Amino acid sequence: MAEFINFYLIPGLVLGSIYALGAIGITMTFGILRFANFAHGETMTLGVYIAWSLVQLTGFKSMVAILLVLMPVSMMLTIMVVLLIDKAFYRPLRASPVIILVIASFGLMLMIRSVTQFSWGVQLKTILPGIQPRMHLFDFFSFPLKHVFIVGGALLLMYAVHYVLTYTKIGKAMRATSDSPELARLTGINTEKVVMATWVMGAGLACAAGVFLAVDTQVDTMMGFKILLPMFAAAILGGVGKPYGAMAGGLVIGVAEELSSYPWLGDGPLLEPGYKQGIAFAIMIAILVWRPTGLFKGKSF
Amino acid sequence: MDPVLYGYMLYGVSLLTVGGMYAILALGLNVQWGFTGLFNAGIAGFFGIGAYTAAILTTNPHTSHIGGFQMPYVVAAIAAMLVAGVIAFLVGKVCLKLRSDYLAIATIGLAEIFRLIVNNETWATNGPRGISQIPRPFEGLPEPINQFAFLGVVLVTLAGVYWLMEIARKSPWGRVMTAIRDNETSAKAAGKNVETFRMEGFVIGCMIMALAGALMAHYLKFVNPQTTDPLLATFIVFVMLVIGGSANNKGAILGAFLVWTLWSASEIVAPRLLEAIGMTDAGIRSAYVRIFLIGLLLQIFLQKNPQGLLPETRPSSPGKNSS
Amino acid sequence: MKLVKQLAVTACAAAMFATAAHADSIKVGSAGGVTGPIAELVATIVKGRDLARDQINAEGGLLKGDTLEMVIGDSACDPKAAVDAVGKLVNVEQVVGIVGPSCSGATNASVQAVTIPAGVAVLSDSATAPSVTELKDNDTVFRVAPSDAYQGLAIATLVNKAGIKKVAMTYSNDDYNAGIAKVFEEEFKKMGGEVTANQAHEPNKASYRSELQTLTQGGPEAIAIFAYYGSSGITIIKNSLENGLFGKFFAADGMFDQSVIDQIGADNLKGNISITQASSDTGDASYQAFAGAFKATGADPAAPYAAHGYDATFMMALAIEKAGAADRAKIKDALRAISDGKGEVVRPGEWAKAKKLIADGKDINYEGASGSADFDANGDVSGVFAVNVVGDDGKWAKELLK
Repeated sequence: MAEFINFYLIPGLVLGSIYALGAIGITMTFGILRFANFAHGETMTLGVYIAWSLVQLTGFKSMVAILLVLMPVSMMLTIMVVLLIDKAFYRPLRASPVIILVIASFGLMLMIRSVTQFSWGVQLKTILPGIQPRMHLFDFFSFPLKHVFIVGGALLLMYAVHYVLTYTKIGKAMRATSDSPELARLTGINTEKVVMATWVMGAGLACAAGVFLAVDTQVDTMMGFKILLPMFAAAILGGVGKPYGAMAGGLVIGVAEELSSYPWLGDGPLLEPGYKQGIAFAIMIAILVWRPTGLFKGKSF
Repeated sequence: MDPVLYGYMLYGVSLLTVGGMYAILALGLNVQWGFTGLFNAGIAGFFGIGAYTAAILTTNPHTSHIGGFQMPYVVAAIAAMLVAGVIAFLVGKVCLKLRSDYLAIATIGLAEIFRLIVNNETWATNGPRGISQIPRPFEGLPEPINQFAFLGVVLVTLAGVYWLMEIARKSPWGRVMTAIRDNETSAKAAGKNVETFRMEGFVIGCMIMALAGALMAHYLKFVNPQTTDPLLATFIVFVMLVIGGSANNKGAILGAFLVWTLWSASEIVAPRLLEAIGMTDAGIRSAYVRIFLIGLLLQIFLQKNPQGLLPETRPSSPGKNSS
Repeated sequence: MKLVKQLAVTACAAAMFATAAHADSIKVGSAGGVTGPIAELVATIVKGRDLARDQINAEGGLLKGDTLEMVIGDSACDPKAAVDAVGKLVNVEQVVGIVGPSCSGATNASVQAVTIPAGVAVLSDSATAPSVTELKDNDTVFRVAPSDAYQGLAIATLVNKAGIKKVAMTYSNDDYNAGIAKVFEEEFKKMGGEVTANQAHEPNKASYRSELQTLTQGGPEAIAIFAYYGSSGITIIKNSLENGLFGKFFAADGMFDQSVIDQIGADNLKGNISITQASSDTGDASYQAFAGAFKATGADPAAPYAAHGYDATFMMALAIEKAGAADRAKIKDALRAISDGKGEVVRPGEWAKAKKLIADGKDINYEGASGSADFDANGDVSGVFAVNVVGDDGKWAKELLK
């Protein structure tokens, strides 16, 4: 039992909270700007490289300092870059059909990735070198300290999202626009402002998710792209346009991926780990077919 | 013949050969996206099904994978299309009810699952090591005649697919397709079975993609899971169709040749551009610059010319004026 | 439309201009997956190739003072991209020979579709798939990287000698690692060892904790990892150590990089990890000659296949020199002559010496940084391997495997 929790459930939660943070941005872009943003993974990678550069500049070595001081700064910088990208590439296409926006985002994915590879090179980097100590709790639970920070940090950020969406004017406008853009426009909501807020939220959280992932593993130029499809799956699972759904979806997919190779039946893993990546897609396709609105009753168009 | 000229000639042949195969892919996508409005983002999957089916059926027996049936090329190509058609039918049964973006994400997921299967089912596909020594039509002929001959095969296939697609487009069937795409409700009201038409468009498109995959397997003489990498098997096909002109078969073909040529030739140009602006050690970095420039070109196109080079033209329908 | 036309015109102009401007340079293709899944490995391999080029050009260049120019072709590890890139190198850039491409799949496709029909010599520095040996290549396909068959055996021997009887293994599902893993499993069983579990893993996952947990069943004493350090290897070792799942690691050379130590920490790995690597059997003189110069450029000489990249380029240049002309057919024959184990030994960096020997009509035998680099009948090299462990200075320390 301890083994199940320590090696399957907790890693699943760590991965799941990273997916969840990323999926919030995807689901909001999907809900408000109406397109699947393929460049979201690269936004995440860019955020990580900005954070890595800050770590080199400041020479910070402690995880707390990196997460509390440098991460917010890199989130700001990532947000600024993404707003500029919106201005140059997405705004001229606001009235275009969805496919055009999707293709534009795919093009941007390539562009941002090549800029990252050009400026920082493709060699692996690390934000937090070495092996992190494990924490033991009641002789039963045992997990690396950094996982406490990652899950805790993710929960904190999710609470912040919740707060913004529930109690601020712009947050309410975002939810209204996501639920029904026509209605929102009629009630006098400034759509451009809402779009800006969407990018700010999406980019900031993407950067945070990326930094968490980098703290857990390493920094490389494909890291965001590698987890793009699971994040899409999380957004769809949760219901498009539903930030709470994305959070739940991310956690479910992260945990499901890890649990799939648990020896549920007999001694061997239930599913060969080579197929682990397929779990996210299988869940996603199943949801699309049987409950296209997602768990949280998002839009079905 | 002057070796430099000879080299450029062979490069031209390869551009046309690969461009031709992409044109077939783009025509397949045009049936789905252009005429029927189905956003299939899993092109790589059906392309891969075609490539692997052709590879397994035509190669010599080998210990590392199943097959070695040494079948004739035409039989293998037809089999590739049938396999893809059956799989497309099953996928369509499940996914075609979804809205376009959802369908896109579902088909990406299915293409990824296909890639996982060819990677993991080593007994059948030799897993990540791929299937080698796939025969190519006319390869026994002397150089460079064999290359022209294979180019001929590709272009004849392309012409055949184009001809069939044009007939389909101008037929009542084609008009129903565009009607469904543009206004599903009124098409339904006119008594058309929307589901069936969509399914037909999806299956036919996927079969054409598999045909392109089969040709590609013979051209490369090798397939592995990397061959179905989405960048050069899915994304670039959308770029071709959008730049060429969606819902226009000529546009799809033009877009395919043009974008492939730009993609390929940019590798020759990018390092020279960097050198020209005084960047030393251009080498590897020019590969990144090249991809950046392609992305930028795409953005410019999307903003300035979203209907593509050859916009859609409607066949004149008998009895009423279509607009 | 206008824009496209303009671009096309510029492209043609640039291509013409380039062929005109470098009349006195001899071009060799430098193909590799500079973008794509193993970009970080290829970046260093290309640096190895470029070091050889720089040394050669600094010591008199090729033939009558011609410059050796390495033209990059991005094979992206994708057969489609590789055939296109290598086709351009052969037909547009008119290279006389090709070093690379890096991935076995990309190599396999591009030699069959392009270089064998064109009769251009390909000297791969990192394609290790046994299927490359099987090709009917008219003696145009060579490699300085030993086939997987050798390395699988080397690791099995290493594990066996360490007295380990039960081992778990995991391999990254790519052409390179899957191949070595297969050979390892066969050879280790032949030696009487037991493989408690053998699992493929999909690279590029954020975590491998649950896979590793599953692999611990059956009481393995160690784990053999067949993976690239970047796409999954480091994560696997990190996850193993952080969760206390495995403490002893054996790995193939895809794992071999200084960043493994830098990211995980020398203290955590010391005495616990052994990585095999293709190496030189003629003592370390050749390797040291290369390593010193490579370090001076700020690169890591121990990085996977960097030394092979250097050797392949140096040998291609020697073949051009030996052939006496930038002639494709003569170069492929000359490649055998410069490294057949007979003649005066030439080591990395000794370009001027080699040039003089060739001019005097003497036989030379290149002893490379990556090994003796003597080709067998198939154009392959036999594998001589070293094992790398963590040294006192926190760097990899190398020891020959006999």
